[in-house]
Amino acid sequence: MKGKKRIGMLLLAGLVSAGLLSGCGGQTDSGKSESGGSSGELVLYTWEGMFPQEVLDGFEEETGIELIYSNFDTDETMLEKLAQAEGKDYDLVIADDYIIESVVEEGLAQKLDKSKIENFDNINPLYQGQFYDEEDAYTVPYGAGIPLIVYDPEAVDFEIKGYKDLWDESLKDSIALTANYRVINGITLLSMEKSMNEEDVAVIEEAGEKLKALAPNVRMIQDDNTQNALLNGEASVAFLYTSQVTQVLSENPDLKIVYPEEGLGFGIMAGFIPSQAPNSDAAHEFLDYILQPETGAKCFDFTGYYSTNQAADELLENPDLAVPESVTEGEIIQNVSVEADAAYNKNWTEFKAACD
Amino acid sequence: MRKKKTRRKIKFSEIYLWLVLLFIYLPIGFVVLYSFNESKSTAVWNGFSLRWYQTLFQDSSILEALKNSLLLGVLSCLAAAAIGTVGAVGLVKAKAKAGGVMEYISTLPIMIPEIILGMVFMAFFSVLHLPFGMVTLVIAHTAFCIPYILMMVRARLAGMDPALEEAAMDLGAAPMRVFFDITLPLVMPAVLSGSLLAFAMSLDDVVISIFVNGPRLNTLPVKVYTQMKFGVTPEINALCTIMLAITLLVLVAYRLAVYKKAD
Amino acid sequence: MKKKKNLWSFAVLPLYLFTLVFVVGPLVYMAAISFATNKEGYGVLWRFTTENYRKILDPVYLETFQQSLKLAFSSTLSIMLLGYPFGYFMAKLSDRRKKRMMLLLVIPFWVNSLIRLYGWIIILQTKGALNGFLLKLGLIEKPLKMLYSYPAVLLGMIYTLLPFMILSVYSSAEKMDWSLVEAAMDLGATPAQAFFSVTLKMTLPGLLSGMILTFIPSMGLFFIADILGGNKIVLVGSLIQDQMSRGSNWPFAAALAVILTFLTTLIIYLYRKITHVSELEGLY
Repeated sequence: MKGKKRIGMLLLAGLVSAGLLSGCGGQTDSGKSESGGSSGELVLYTWEGMFPQEVLDGFEEETGIELIYSNFDTDETMLEKLAQAEGKDYDLVIADDYIIESVVEEGLAQKLDKSKIENFDNINPLYQGQFYDEEDAYTVPYGAGIPLIVYDPEAVDFEIKGYKDLWDESLKDSIALTANYRVINGITLLSMEKSMNEEDVAVIEEAGEKLKALAPNVRMIQDDNTQNALLNGEASVAFLYTSQVTQVLSENPDLKIVYPEEGLGFGIMAGFIPSQAPNSDAAHEFLDYILQPETGAKCFDFTGYYSTNQAADELLENPDLAVPESVTEGEIIQNVSVEADAAYNKNWTEFKAACD
Repeated sequence: MRKKKTRRKIKFSEIYLWLVLLFIYLPIGFVVLYSFNESKSTAVWNGFSLRWYQTLFQDSSILEALKNSLLLGVLSCLAAAAIGTVGAVGLVKAKAKAGGVMEYISTLPIMIPEIILGMVFMAFFSVLHLPFGMVTLVIAHTAFCIPYILMMVRARLAGMDPALEEAAMDLGAAPMRVFFDITLPLVMPAVLSGSLLAFAMSLDDVVISIFVNGPRLNTLPVKVYTQMKFGVTPEINALCTIMLAITLLVLVAYRLAVYKKAD
Repeated sequence: MKKKKNLWSFAVLPLYLFTLVFVVGPLVYMAAISFATNKEGYGVLWRFTTENYRKILDPVYLETFQQSLKLAFSSTLSIMLLGYPFGYFMAKLSDRRKKRMMLLLVIPFWVNSLIRLYGWIIILQTKGALNGFLLKLGLIEKPLKMLYSYPAVLLGMIYTLLPFMILSVYSSAEKMDWSLVEAAMDLGATPAQAFFSVTLKMTLPGLLSGMILTFIPSMGLFFIADILGGNKIVLVGSLIQDQMSRGSNWPFAAALAVILTFLTTLIIYLYRKITHVSELEGLY
């Protein structure tokens, strides 16, 4: 008993003093940043790893604006946080297409002042006028993606051509999947020659049955670092987002990419300014900055998503990231009715439960 | 005969204790080992390197997050220690009718899954219009730090002789004096070990912090979590190794100091 | 005397106040959400419904509860078998070695728990340390797939929660009066009899509190299922997480949370009935 206490005390004593010392530094720091106010700060809210450090530093140097890079883990967390903050606190958000539709509907985004974005015309028109922002009033696209199948030809003894091949019996316990429930439901529907945005609950349930049959082949379901499973031999087939496809190919060029014959899914990420952004001027400046051809090219080379900036296309180090023809054929996942969404959710839970 | 038997038993128990400790330290050992790996991948060993320590010290955001976490841990532990200690003493002395129920409810934050707490805190704080940031983090962390201290102090009080306090009271000491001069020194070890554990929990919390942190603030575990999602970098291994080393150093320094004093 | 008592009642005020505002408040709010309607897109519609609870009865979600409980039982049982002897042996060590052992148990808490799990990935992955070791020994011919499976998740649970069991059992065993065991032996009991009739009985509160401290969290530790299980094992915790983030269905998540809180309360209530102790022992 005595021993426990003594250990407790000494551990605490050490850590508290260490904590207090560095804590003081922390306090002054945060005090400074909080009193800084709207004059020279930009709170950028997006996923981790969306910009090369060089671009962030370059922006700070060029404009003197202090950039605060804040992360969310999922689009839904972002929407929730933004709604709770009533459109304040954040100056610029970059997120997925379907969630932006909700953001705009909720009145949480403000219209862009295009006179402040000189490089607006650099945007590739392919990515404009989309369902979430038909008038291009709120958003600037920042990268697009098509989830694809990638496999290791040495570990798979037949040629994979489409989604339906994922159900092949020889692939037992060897597929890594991304964890977006709509995308995985979507490819199941595509393999049944239906739309990824199917609204008919009976059809969705049918897809659920089919999806369950995929369970024995699934090695893992993860949204992040899914590509690593392919690289370190945990899986021999993976269904990956574009950035992951780019990364996996750069590390192992022998892997094979499949553009599934049943059709492609497609997604756009875009930046918008929240309705009550404390520093919308800085947000406009940042959007303009990343639309410059050189900066844009650096960003896409870093994230590995398809370029949405046609002026940047020629400057890309990785030419594969310039718009492929197939992009326009892809189907974008959109918000569906509550009933359909509930059915998708249920499929997903059933599918995961069947995986083990 | 019996003596021999017990000796053999002790031997078995020794082996058992060390085997379980090996189990506990094995993954930590690998984390430390791979912080010195030249390669980014953990599937290969490319030779000894300190490059990840170099990158770590250049990464101001990680160090900033560490500072935030330590500050948060200290603030919430102090708040929890104050509320928890006074509350535990009060619970024991006042023997209030609702005490049992209230005590149970105040320990709920460590009984229910973190994800639930995170979610209800976030929803509730926004109803109260509290600005998300250090304030909300401290409140949330205080809520799950209190139970550790409360339980610890209560257990200590339960085994304590009330005669001392009563004597002081009889001698005319004000209850405040009694609390500070007699009760508090007696329960202090429990307060400290409770705070210690609470601090460790606060320093490790991802789930609740993700929900209640603000736009400008990252705590270390949240940073680690988002980095792990983006791709595990050995930089994080390096950070853990350093923190482990600091903990060990503090321990050794303390031991040395104690022995010196004893001499 | 009465006056003194009143003064002490003031001492509980900060605790009561904090608990009421920041624990009861949020929980009541959660209960309220669980009876609200899910809105299209995002958010909550304040229209009363019991639909969220009815939905839990759907076989899919019941199965999740079942799976989660099964895992919680098997991890609690394994932790008990592994941790009880440890706490027991530890209590028998000399004072100095007790201190040292306690220290060794506490130090890992200072390493981020996600990182500790990540250490297991390094060990268990297909091209990892354990497979390499086994291949070298010639025990296997090709690498085993150990990650992303039920045993891997179970291992993660055991690993994360074991210290709580050890410390609970230890604090109970440490307080034990060993002369009772000797007395039983002197009266002719075999060591096994003495253990079951005296030791086990006296350390039961610690064992039970250890079981609670491992059982309850093991239903909610979704990141273990994520990191080591490849998300294939669905815990109630992962289901709540899924419903909140990707599914964006707060009312349903809240209903699941209410049920889980209720289950937790029930378990603790039963524990108190059995042991007649009002606080959990050795929570550290």
